[in-house]
Amino acid sequence: MKFTIDSSALADAVAWAARSLPARPTAPVLAGLLLEAKQTSLTLSGFDLEVSAQISLDTDVEEPGRVLVSGRLLADITRALPHLPVTIATDGPRVNVECGSSRFTLLTLPVEDYPSLPSMPTVSGLIDGPTFTSAISQVAIAAGRDETLPALTGIRLEIEGDTLTLAATDRYRLAVREIPWKPEQSSISATALILGRTLNETAKAMTSATEVELAFSSRDGAVESLVGFSGAGRSTTTRLIDGEFPKYRSLFPDDSATSAQIEKASFIDAVKRVSLVAERNTPIRLAFSSEGLTLEAGTGDEAQASESVDAQVTGEEILIAFNPQYLVDGLNAVVGDYVSMTFVSSSKPAVLTGMLTADAKPDSSYRYLLMPVRMAG
Amino acid sequence: MSVFDGLVGQEMAAHELQVAVSDAQLVLGGQAGPAMTHAWLFVGPPGSGRSLAARAFAQALQCQEGGCGQCKDCLDIANRTHPDVVMTEPVGVHYGVEDVRELVAQASGSPIRGRWRVFVLEDADRLESQQMDWKPANVLLKAIEEPAPHTVWILCAPSLQDVIATIKSRCRVVSLRTPSASEVTEVLITKYGAEPELAAAAARISQGHIGQARRYVRDEDTRNRHSDVMNLPASLTTLDACIEAAAQFVETADERMKDSVKGRDTQEREDVRQVYGVGARGIEARGVAKALNDLEKTQKRRAKRARSDAVDLALLDLLSFYRDVLMVQWGADVSLINKEFAAQLHAAAAGASPEITMRRIEEVLRTRATLSGNAAPRLVLEALFATLRDPAVAH
Repeated sequence: MKFTIDSSALADAVAWAARSLPARPTAPVLAGLLLEAKQTSLTLSGFDLEVSAQISLDTDVEEPGRVLVSGRLLADITRALPHLPVTIATDGPRVNVECGSSRFTLLTLPVEDYPSLPSMPTVSGLIDGPTFTSAISQVAIAAGRDETLPALTGIRLEIEGDTLTLAATDRYRLAVREIPWKPEQSSISATALILGRTLNETAKAMTSATEVELAFSSRDGAVESLVGFSGAGRSTTTRLIDGEFPKYRSLFPDDSATSAQIEKASFIDAVKRVSLVAERNTPIRLAFSSEGLTLEAGTGDEAQASESVDAQVTGEEILIAFNPQYLVDGLNAVVGDYVSMTFVSSSKPAVLTGMLTADAKPDSSYRYLLMPVRMAG
Repeated sequence: MSVFDGLVGQEMAAHELQVAVSDAQLVLGGQAGPAMTHAWLFVGPPGSGRSLAARAFAQALQCQEGGCGQCKDCLDIANRTHPDVVMTEPVGVHYGVEDVRELVAQASGSPIRGRWRVFVLEDADRLESQQMDWKPANVLLKAIEEPAPHTVWILCAPSLQDVIATIKSRCRVVSLRTPSASEVTEVLITKYGAEPELAAAAARISQGHIGQARRYVRDEDTRNRHSDVMNLPASLTTLDACIEAAAQFVETADERMKDSVKGRDTQEREDVRQVYGVGARGIEARGVAKALNDLEKTQKRRAKRARSDAVDLALLDLLSFYRDVLMVQWGADVSLINKEFAAQLHAAAAGASPEITMRRIEEVLRTRATLSGNAAPRLVLEALFATLRDPAVAH
């Protein structure tokens, strides 16, 4: 194998493909990065048995070949290279890296022991890259972290025609985002559950792609097990969670008794200030009335705090309590300068949606459902 | 060629597993397959090949041919690089709660290669924590009771009594038996090319433990250590000799431990070097010193366990000696385990009554129990040897 390539392009590619390589693999080959040079392209692959990452670069290949080297070492080397063309060539059991006057020699790992990478499922449709990334980060905040409830650590992907719905919940809040996308077939209907952490990282790596391809595994006779994403020359597959996601659509209340519109930035600041006196796991109380919104925390002999915030309230007065962190998470996730909150009663979940301006219509493409905390007495 | 061919003397279990594998194929096709289930407990005495059986079962489940041993799936499992098969063992004496949690989290993933997601837990008897509770086992309970649709758990333990009832009741049990001396002899001859006579002796002395038998055949040090134990009872003439023998015994066990972990320790160090790319020129591999340091700590914990295992194995040899003595004293028509040491056996038999021999056997058994409770080996062994010299003194 022998090829020459721009060093910074190589460094970026290696850094990305090697990012998920395990520090303590079950077998040494799994810490390897697979370099495959074919005619005019170089493909780098990494696989930690959960997530596979593959990236292709156009380059001049002098001699095609396939070699496996320590991913972290190659990443260290490529990061340090001067901005010049770099030539990589095999020499028996070694690989030589030459760039300007720098020379490195790496030992290879046995490429024949490397497991075959999961094959990319067939493409189901296309989605705008930046939108996808932001949508994932909006719902990922609500994903659970309790690994004994695996289905809740996931982000649910639902495809129905040209709408892609993302949802995540940890039982205390639920975040749902709907985005338009371009399916290969307009009649498509599919679902997948992916580990929130993994999907968030995957999406971040795709920010530079204008369009991301989504691929669901549906090979004949095989278990639905994989989802693939590709864009900007990068593709990655990840294992699905084999579990039941709660039926969440019916959780959103059909009507509301109270609704309030509040300027977001001052609301967030007020919540943060007032919750300073709220001990761990104690709630912050919100009183909505025609005069606006009053926030309170702390009880009895303990420290107390209260603050008023302007709010446009319609409907009945309501007193409701929330976990302050969960409230802030929701407020940060909705898009726009204002937030709309709707309530049924102080024991039923509230719904948060974003508003671009004070007069704009609430944007229901992202909804954050938040369970209230029961108040003492 | 099937992966089950490698199991010695386990025709019953292999048959049961093969039926499960063909039913598993039906389950994948959406039909009922009652012989397949999601949680298995493989029980069998040390040396019966529990982990080998578990690996063979994993291969048979993942392989398109039901365990050919040659395809990419089978080879990846053997290399521990199969994305859908996880094989674990406790690092130290016990499983940690965190380790088990990690496994449970992984177990919710679906199989990438579209068949099964298999988790093999060796030494499930060590799901008991250091505090003698079963916290690690409890973390596992829900996961093995209601696993994801394609997840299969395979737990291995020496016997049913070693596993907490809540785990046991959630698993289908596969019993592996101790292979007979003739089965072990045959394997040693056909597979490892041992001389028939040596193979027969190894099979008898190892009492069905294939790993031990193979070591006996291959390694002269192992044979010497065994004959040392056979000569030990006669050497216990004075109290000084007993104390000397205890020191020697611990030292020999240490050597035995080192031999048993050496190969693996070296391999692991080599693996770490490969992971970090040691051997490269022009750049220093970063972080390798720390990784090797961490590895050494792990290996030390494992060595501690291996050392107590080595003492126990030597005590088992001693037990087999007194068992033979008793057979000689009774004139029983059964084959002697340590036939090669007839002179020592007969001398010991002539020098004591069967009652005394029985008492000696009890003392060895009691010492094994004491040592499993973290006592200082040398002191306990000194006490044992002093008692063996003159059992009357102890009571």
